[in-house]
Amino acid sequence: MTVLPFLAITFGAAAASLLLRANARMAAAIGIAGLLAAAAAAARIRPEDTLAIGGSELAGSEYLRLFALIGSLVALALTVLGLASVSHRNAPGVLLAGMGSAVLALALTDARIGVLAATAGGLFGVLVTIASPATPRSVVVASRELRALAVAGVLAILATAWIGRPLGGLAVVPEVFGFAYLGFAAAVAIRFGAIPFHFWAARLADAAPEVTLPMLMAWGPAAFAIVALTWADQSVAPLLLPLTAERVAIVAVGAASAVLGIVAAAIQDDLEHVVGYTIIADAGIAILGLAALSPEAWSPAREWILVFITVRSAFAAWAVAMRGAFRTRRISELGGWAVRAPLLAVALVLVAAAAVGFPGLVAWEARASLVDLTIAGPIGIIVVVSSVAQLAIYGRLLVVGLSKPSAAVVAGLSERPTWPDIVEGRRVVGLSRAERAFERGGHAIGGSLDVLWGIPAAIRANRALLAGAIAVLVAALALSLSAGGFGIVEASQAVPVPGGPGPAEGPGAPSSEPPGSSSPAESPGSVSAPASAPPSSGSPVSGEPAPPSVGPSVQPSASAS
Amino acid sequence: MNVLLAGLTAAVLAGAVVAVSAREARASLLGLLVVLLASSLLADPLPRPLPLAARIAAALLAARLISISIRGLDRPTAGSRLGWPVEALAAVAAGVVGFGTHGLGATPLGPALASAAGCAVGILAAAPMVTSRDVYRLGTGAMLLLVGGLLIRVGLGGTPSDLEQLVTCGLIAGVGGAVAVVVRAARAATGDLSVGDDTAAPRPPSRHLGRSGGGITARDAAHLEPVAPVAPGPASPEAPARPRRRTPAADPFAGR
Repeated sequence: MTVLPFLAITFGAAAASLLLRANARMAAAIGIAGLLAAAAAAARIRPEDTLAIGGSELAGSEYLRLFALIGSLVALALTVLGLASVSHRNAPGVLLAGMGSAVLALALTDARIGVLAATAGGLFGVLVTIASPATPRSVVVASRELRALAVAGVLAILATAWIGRPLGGLAVVPEVFGFAYLGFAAAVAIRFGAIPFHFWAARLADAAPEVTLPMLMAWGPAAFAIVALTWADQSVAPLLLPLTAERVAIVAVGAASAVLGIVAAAIQDDLEHVVGYTIIADAGIAILGLAALSPEAWSPAREWILVFITVRSAFAAWAVAMRGAFRTRRISELGGWAVRAPLLAVALVLVAAAAVGFPGLVAWEARASLVDLTIAGPIGIIVVVSSVAQLAIYGRLLVVGLSKPSAAVVAGLSERPTWPDIVEGRRVVGLSRAERAFERGGHAIGGSLDVLWGIPAAIRANRALLAGAIAVLVAALALSLSAGGFGIVEASQAVPVPGGPGPAEGPGAPSSEPPGSSSPAESPGSVSAPASAPPSSGSPVSGEPAPPSVGPSVQPSASAS
Repeated sequence: MNVLLAGLTAAVLAGAVVAVSAREARASLLGLLVVLLASSLLADPLPRPLPLAARIAAALLAARLISISIRGLDRPTAGSRLGWPVEALAAVAAGVVGFGTHGLGATPLGPALASAAGCAVGILAAAPMVTSRDVYRLGTGAMLLLVGGLLIRVGLGGTPSDLEQLVTCGLIAGVGGAVAVVVRAARAATGDLSVGDDTAAPRPPSRHLGRSGGGITARDAAHLEPVAPVAPGPASPEAPARPRRRTPAADPFAGR
């Protein structure tokens, strides 16, 4: 089955949910049903299935299947958590549309179309950034978001268009490829809100509902980044151009985000800000993957992106559950939360384990590989140490949770199971055996109906428990992915089918074949890179070239399946 | 040079100049619609009928959504601080640059006029994107910026495929919807199109108007408002060393 059913379900359910948003319950119900159906459709995506449509192709892959499946499940959990906490009536529709756009961008084999889809998907975020009633602050945040999306989008459009054609007669090879590469990397940094482009993203954490934060700051930009990664691997990396200055600039942005993001998260008192800055910090590592331009970085970068967006979604789910239970986002007001909500404490420990990891874990190895490939020396050590230092953030939250209960926590909801007192006791007043038997039967039916009728009230009464359980499930999912579950390593190693014309074709010879038919093995050489040019692989900071190797950039596309 | 393409390029430029410089929101929207419609045709070979119809429908939808958001607007937009002649000259200059650098170093697959129009539209979008606090102008700038990028992409890579046209339709309609949402929210929140960040310090007045401004304060050039009369304060033993700065009460935008 192709990716088409998934797209039809997500976009159809998103439209229905948004059209019926006047009824928040109906919108949420449609959102939940749509996400369930989307998860089922995602599980049926097959790598070998491609669909030629309108002169381009939609192609499935193991990585796409995993992205769509995990994303749908996480969005489903967040939607349900939104019912137990604070959400927005547009949130289910935005989650569905955002996931549909992200999967569409990844399924498109032509990067020029992929960036359009990824940019269009980001626009749905405006619907939730402006909460009702609108405030000047939310309008400012939404306008900044719109500005960032437009700038990032046009940078990516120009970069992909510049290289997405025959370049045989190109006179200034390194400059053209360098500008295009730098432009697309800057677009990714803007979309992620990486430092120094983080102002709009930091405000977004204030304005957008908590349940949509992972979609706006992680899943949507991640699709954009994966498109950029694929484009760089197919269009820039095979040429082995001397792009040292460009790579140093990208590494600087990535390293600054990774280190300063953790510092910023550690000093915040607002849970959503903590979540937002940890996303920015992890995005910094993903940006390092763009700077590597090496076949060795292909798999770790894709592993890291999928792991980090899932882990941060779990962290956001934990924060949503905390907000729902204790009605506050301020850490200073959450004293004693861990005692009152032990499931949330378990979820936080799982999130910490998945986020930091340890040697041997896929997430740890992916991060270490990306840092090794791009940063040498003490700066690399600082980046790795900062990633480990985020343990201080979780430790601080746990210490607060084990301290004396605050007023907000005492007044909040407990995870202790309870049942609403709505089942009435019925006395048996019959005299004969038959009469009493009939009466007992009637009471049993009545009691069952009481229980059934009491389920909604029971869910409301136990919503903290249920929210905690969902947070634990999402955190366990993140930890499993971080440990290499769901076949993430094999999925990340697959090479996508190249699509659309590109620099591989000769000068003035536009392809007459359908997109995707050109072999990437022919990519290097069509554009004559300077013979003396040092290879791009290796650490741009140290300047040491990495040993030549054959990786995804030059492997035949058949390995994608 | 194709006469049709030249005419379309002229239409794109004229529409973009009107879109960024007109203070009347409806005129500005009309200019934006002209840009969207003409840019969908600016390709060689022309797009096929079905994708073209989709692009036209998306342009109309985007314009319709924005028109809903500005319905009943009784105040002008910020317009251009530079004025339309300057905007037009800048657009022409950028168009010449785009035409001259067509292909950006390699064989292009599309018409040079598309690159020229793209550069012109992009340069016109810069000012609203960078400086404007008027959300309508900002939205117009965002739309123009993306259209400029798409035009340059047509100039470099040729006529987009049908699927690319379809996704482009979604992007244009999406930007139109996002602009409409932001504009509507701004009007609901402040009754105006201009919003300031309440946490940011108030910006100084335009240097061109001077600090005292001659009885007029301006945040955006179009929103010239008379200064509220300042109550006379106690007699001061010393004359102020420099012109008095605006007081928060006199600046209706301070602290927003």
